[in-house]
Amino acid sequence: MKRADKSAVRTHGSNGRPGKTRKSAAIELPSRFYGSPLPGVKPEELSGTLVVIEGTDGSGRSTQISLLTEWLESEGFAVQTMGLRRSYLVGEDIDGLLAENSVTRMTLALMYSTDFFDQLERRILPALRSGLIVLADRYIFTLIARAAVRGIGRDYLHGIYETALRPDLTFWLNVRPEVAFDREFKKSQTISYWESGRDMSLSNDLFQSFIRYQSMIKREFEYLSKRHGFIEMDGESSVSDLNRLLRKRIAAHLGIRSTHYRPSHALSHLWH
Amino acid sequence: MGIVTPETLTITETLSLKEPAPKRQYPGALVVVEGIDGSGKSTQLYLLKRWLEIGGYRIHFTEWNSSPLVKSATRRGKQRRLLTPTTFSLLHAADFADRCERQIMPLLHGGYLVLADRYIYTAFARDAARGCSPHWLRNLYSFAPTPDITFYFRAPLDVAVNRIVAGRPKLKYYEAGMDLGISLDRAESFRIFQERILTNYDQMIETDHFVLMDGTVRVNKLQKLMRQIVGERISLQQFAPKKK
Repeated sequence: MKRADKSAVRTHGSNGRPGKTRKSAAIELPSRFYGSPLPGVKPEELSGTLVVIEGTDGSGRSTQISLLTEWLESEGFAVQTMGLRRSYLVGEDIDGLLAENSVTRMTLALMYSTDFFDQLERRILPALRSGLIVLADRYIFTLIARAAVRGIGRDYLHGIYETALRPDLTFWLNVRPEVAFDREFKKSQTISYWESGRDMSLSNDLFQSFIRYQSMIKREFEYLSKRHGFIEMDGESSVSDLNRLLRKRIAAHLGIRSTHYRPSHALSHLWH
Repeated sequence: MGIVTPETLTITETLSLKEPAPKRQYPGALVVVEGIDGSGKSTQLYLLKRWLEIGGYRIHFTEWNSSPLVKSATRRGKQRRLLTPTTFSLLHAADFADRCERQIMPLLHGGYLVLADRYIYTAFARDAARGCSPHWLRNLYSFAPTPDITFYFRAPLDVAVNRIVAGRPKLKYYEAGMDLGISLDRAESFRIFQERILTNYDQMIETDHFVLMDGTVRVNKLQKLMRQIVGERISLQQFAPKKK
């Protein structure tokens, strides 16, 4: 939490933003926006907490989100999730565009931003107004990184997302591209067109293409991590170890004393 | 020369002297018409297109909101009224990006004269009227090439609104700006929405070097002026049919 707070001061501090008064550590800080808030949104109404889990495919994000959801619910917190291509408005359209491979980079980037804001405005902000905990399976950072490695300007991308909500906590599950490759291959017996950046003509060899693409994404994340104060986690450690560390951080933020958790029977297969 | 010289021409001339043509990285040219609904812009662009087509020039005509790629999403959003100012704006930007990357840019690089019925200024005027920040909108569309000429057709609000309302049995929900909750009466909402858009357009006349066209001038007279300005500002020769 400290790291995230420090970065908030570094990037947006001392510009006379109103409502920046700090409460005691146990009470969560009001959620804020990067720039001007979305039209019609009052930041002070958002009493919930936004926790973001970022990382490439194969970094273990979905597993951790399932476990964290169960843990938070067992502690009595209501949870809402979000992720890429899950909006009612354009989620399926993006699936269609990806399947066709004819879409250009700017169109895709803007379709993803439409997908993001549709979820943010219609699902996430109402959830945060009701005091829920939102667990985001990726956020604007993946969208920025993907577009940036395709040559779209970082400032342009940050400009589009300046009306997005700043997360209370952003975890980056960092894994080496080689490890991500092993995990993804084990899971689906192949490597997806987009996750290996094949639209970028990096290599005809799928493994090489994947490694190069993921290395480029990783470099963008290193930059984003500094700019936005990510909490970097070792995505290569065991599921249970990683989960314990995540719980500790989230518990400290929410003011939960006990972080004890054992997955239920339904999720025990994830625990190793 | 000088058969038709409404007052508007003097405005455009002074502007054109002040502003040297920006450097282009492509041999093509881009001519844009803008203005509120009912200002006569589409009619005038159609006549300009016919003139150039008949002359055999290398031209391409493009319209706002016409990409098949995002059509289903736009329709879905509008039918179910799911669009917020931000998603409305982003969806149209995605649509424009598709047209820009797959049509407008390749054609400009290929040496075409591209005619656009509405361009990014439509988004600036309309989405700002919905509450999006002008600064955010400018950034969003910063990938778009700057037009060589932007004709801004301006008609008094009443004239434009009456043209639209008379010709249409029912105004559509978003078209009338009903999502803004200005008024429960569609015609009233439409009027106020258009008024806001008109104000936003007017503010761009100088900053974006609009060529102001009086939408109340007779159609053929206005077209004559439009053709004259295009001839002066663009070397049409480079788009003329090649002699074998």
